[in-house]
Amino acid sequence: MGELKTALLHLPTFLRASRARQEFWALRDVSLSIRRGESVGIIGPNGAGKSTLLRIVSRLAPLTKGKLTVRGRVSPLLELGAGFHQQISGRENALLNAVLLGLSRKEAKEKLADIADFSELGGFFDQPMRTYSSGMYVRLGFAVAVHVRPEILLVDEVLAVGDTEFQRKCFDHIEKLRQDKVTIVLVTHDLDSVKRFCDRAVLLNHGVIAAEGKPREVVDEYLSRHFEFSASPTSRGDS
Amino acid sequence: MATWTDSHRALSGRLNLAQLTRTLDLLLLMTAREVKLRYQGTVLGFLWTLAKPLLLALVFSFALSYVLRIKAPGDAPFVLFLLSALFPWTWFQSSIQFSAGSFSNNAPLLKKVYFPRFVLPLSAVTSQLFHFVLSIPILVLLLVIWGYYPGLEWLVGFPLLVAIQLLILAGAVLLVASFNVFLRDLEHLVEVLMTLWLYLTPIIYPLSAVKGKVGHLIYLNPMASLIQAWRDLFLDNRIPGTEIWPALVFAALALLAGTIAFKSLEGQFEIAL
Repeated sequence: MGELKTALLHLPTFLRASRARQEFWALRDVSLSIRRGESVGIIGPNGAGKSTLLRIVSRLAPLTKGKLTVRGRVSPLLELGAGFHQQISGRENALLNAVLLGLSRKEAKEKLADIADFSELGGFFDQPMRTYSSGMYVRLGFAVAVHVRPEILLVDEVLAVGDTEFQRKCFDHIEKLRQDKVTIVLVTHDLDSVKRFCDRAVLLNHGVIAAEGKPREVVDEYLSRHFEFSASPTSRGDS
Repeated sequence: MATWTDSHRALSGRLNLAQLTRTLDLLLLMTAREVKLRYQGTVLGFLWTLAKPLLLALVFSFALSYVLRIKAPGDAPFVLFLLSALFPWTWFQSSIQFSAGSFSNNAPLLKKVYFPRFVLPLSAVTSQLFHFVLSIPILVLLLVIWGYYPGLEWLVGFPLLVAIQLLILAGAVLLVASFNVFLRDLEHLVEVLMTLWLYLTPIIYPLSAVKGKVGHLIYLNPMASLIQAWRDLFLDNRIPGTEIWPALVFAALALLAGTIAFKSLEGQFEIAL
């Protein structure tokens, strides 16, 4: 009861309370420009602000200060299959998801065959998604995300999914998108994939840019700063 | 100070049009999903939409007509008098109830993809509109049984009233769903209020029976003139005239309030969800 009274008496403050609770800057003074067709890898320790950066670019997190200009259709691969509904079929989910990610209904319908093909779901494509294994779920999510003709693809650590075979397929597809001049921003702890895929790398640390430049140099810089990682840098990248 | 510009979209009018069609596509798909999910796994399915107004009409008829011997104004049977108001009311009530949680219950989606989010509460309204339209043949059947034949006036009156109620609902659900993200109590409050609102709306009594100084307060109820207009259309084939103006004013106010609330709160969904 006391809580209700406080809430009502201080409604405007109450609504902003979560912001005021504790001041914390996830990113500060980050100045970065990425050209069309460039692929940039963002690396850094946990809590460096990598994901926040992607969330701001994809318009999911509000910008407290500063300016951001985006030219092109942004396709965020932050979580595969966000918004999939268990009770309806993979086909219906794929259609809705493709429209959510920026296609028109007509375009999405035309892509459905490709999506079904890429996801290798076979007969399951028309089954309710509650019957899917987690691997199938993710495969459909990825299939949709890469078939929405992205102009700017934001990838957040989602490639560590599926079996080795499917991972290779995902990387191949991303490589193809790169050759088609799709701008790619990749956030990952997989340093080898940064070296392999990116034209440029950015090292974030505590919300500021600590280093920026050629992937190999930035990765080396990162490893020398946080040498605990240098013990096993190759263990994940060979997939 | 803080700005997010998408120059790609802002520069070209053609793209804005594409943006609009995509939003409509989204609304269509979400509505279809909502309709499909609502009664999935139930045996009676769509009949539940009918059951609500039909059972209410039955109970009210028993209490008011059979026990209290109240007569409906005009010569319509009491059940028809009730149903002609209860069908559009059910659309109104269910839309608001189902949409209250449409932002707060979709946190995973809102946090991972950016899309025109107002589509979420709106799809609750449009899916309930779909059910409402589907229930009209039942109403017509009952009307015909008692010798009330729908006239050509319906062709004008029906879309007109649907449009007005749609606008009121659009504003109302944006307002409720947006605030509900920060104050989940609203979901429960709305449920209670809707029951009370039923009695403050001319559903079990005609608008004309509301008299006196206190009675004039009923015009503060956005649904008062609208529900009366529905009844006049269904029972007397009367096309709504100028007496519908309060509903139009409320539609404008609701849209304004809903848009302002949504616009100013949307940016903070991410923090609250």
